[in-house]
Amino acid sequence: MRYFLIAMALVLSACATTVPVVAKFPDEPGKAAVEKCPQLTTVENGVKLSDLTRTVTMNYSTYYECAVKVDTWIEWYQIQKKIHEDIRK
Amino acid sequence: MWMLSFVPDAWLLLAVYGVLAAGAGLYTFSYFTAFVPALIPFKEPVRILGTVLVIAGVYFYGSYDTEESWRARVAEAEARVAQAEVESKQANDRLAKKSAERVQVIRDRGLIVRQYIDREVVKYDETCKIPDVVVNVHNAAARNEEIK
Repeated sequence: MRYFLIAMALVLSACATTVPVVAKFPDEPGKAAVEKCPQLTTVENGVKLSDLTRTVTMNYSTYYECAVKVDTWIEWYQIQKKIHEDIRK
Repeated sequence: MWMLSFVPDAWLLLAVYGVLAAGAGLYTFSYFTAFVPALIPFKEPVRILGTVLVIAGVYFYGSYDTEESWRARVAEAEARVAQAEVESKQANDRLAKKSAERVQVIRDRGLIVRQYIDREVVKYDETCKIPDVVVNVHNAAARNEEIK
């Protein structure tokens, strides 16, 4: 009985399916790309005109920096998709 | 077949050729048993064994060929994946560099604007008072909230 079980285990091991080739999920396009976009800055009542315009300018910069991240991720997706599709050809 | 993947190619081929050669040898040997009276009773069993071994050898050769073709496919797939990983890393490096350059341009231009504010806009700080409603509008937009 013991030998039979060993033999069966050996024979059934032939049924095991393996996936020998595993493609690694691509990394992010730089560490900065995985940082969240910051909140926009607000101002206090009685703010000076220069401080208000400075804050508005900084907020616009924040928006543009965040837009760069989005653009980067879009481009990253397109490139990685093409690379992934090329593997299957 | 899964277990065969652990056996080196050369060993597999050697085993297959060994079985084939043993079968052919035994089959041929069975004809010479007629010349040795003591071996005559073994003629048929040897011939049968030789035939079985030749058939098994041919079968194993087919299995070996299939195994080899799978190994070749796996090797090809691994090479493609490795190439894709290199391309992916290069693309990521390019994207990260391009992104960093664009962010630097944005920061440089923002700095120039802020310097202009410090130089020119400050002149109007005393004459141009900002009403609280303007602050409320700005903050509501910045927080993406409804205006209270």
